[in-house]
Amino acid sequence: MERYSDSDITLRPLDISDADDFMKWYSDEKVSKFCSWDTFTSKEAAIEYVVDNVIPHPWHKAICVSGRTVGSISVSPFHGMDKCRAELGYVVASDYWGKGIATRAVKMAANAVFVEWGELERVEAVVAVENTASQRVLEKAGFMREGVLRKYFLLKGRPTDAVIFSLLSTDPHVNYFMDA
Amino acid sequence: MDYTRISLRPFRPSDAEDFLAWAGDDKVTRYLRWNTITSGEEALIYIQQVAIPHPWRQSICLDDCSIGYISIKPESSNDRHRAHVGYAIGSDYWGQGIVTAAMKIAIPIVFEKFPSLLRLEGLVEEENVGSQKVLEKVGFTKEGFLRKYGFNKGEIRDMFIYSFLKTDKIAS
Repeated sequence: MERYSDSDITLRPLDISDADDFMKWYSDEKVSKFCSWDTFTSKEAAIEYVVDNVIPHPWHKAICVSGRTVGSISVSPFHGMDKCRAELGYVVASDYWGKGIATRAVKMAANAVFVEWGELERVEAVVAVENTASQRVLEKAGFMREGVLRKYFLLKGRPTDAVIFSLLSTDPHVNYFMDA
Repeated sequence: MDYTRISLRPFRPSDAEDFLAWAGDDKVTRYLRWNTITSGEEALIYIQQVAIPHPWRQSICLDDCSIGYISIKPESSNDRHRAHVGYAIGSDYWGQGIVTAAMKIAIPIVFEKFPSLLRLEGLVEEENVGSQKVLEKVGFTKEGFLRKYGFNKGEIRDMFIYSFLKTDKIAS
């Protein structure tokens, strides 16, 4: 099984020129299963989604392995009295699962936003209880599992129980000197 | 306490003085996200501009006089199956089961009023033991402890998260 070293994994802005690459995960049912979006059947629809949702997003980057785009990761800050917290989301093409890529990308993204947003103290992630692979990513990245929220969000229209995780800026796993 | 004296109803402008009596008390607003009300005029403005237009913010009344409130606010669009619960009561009335009784009245009403509602949630700061007891006595489930979840009165707070589902039973 291929293994990547930490330096092989980089984050950079996602672009519509990455369409052939991002179509690999946007068209994959294994990937869309736990995502808020439904599997895309045309490149045009996926590009439109990226233009409307990803490009304007405050923090949404491509995950690259040796320069190749294999997924994306986003951090969405809350506002007003909740601006001390932000929500993390990520997706990796299924061919690249099980290689530690998401874990590394999560660590890089969390470190980057704690540095970039001075008021941020908490990064959280909410994962469907059946999505055990994603829960392992967060645990390996040093997030703390805080509880199960019943019927917390609608996944494909169905109320779903979700596990909530958090990483604080003061947690020992946060490494402010990590190259992002 | 004779709980038949407790009722819920929408706020009225004429509640301003009674509203000021509890909402003007720092002890009462300590764990709320809104600031202590400082005058009758401010109380009237709050009732007219915040309480009355709110999707569901009702006065907890003792003999039809306002002594507190319960507020239930569904989230927007994709998350409208979920609503946040807020409540407070004048400090003279603490420890008598009044908020618990009012919440037990409110819950069936809001599940009927908001048909897509499936989950009520309450966020309570770690030190606010009185408020945690209210939710536990009503039958909410404590789901977890959320670290540094949000600001309140200038500080970042840790909070317990509780929920009550449409399918849950109110504790007797």
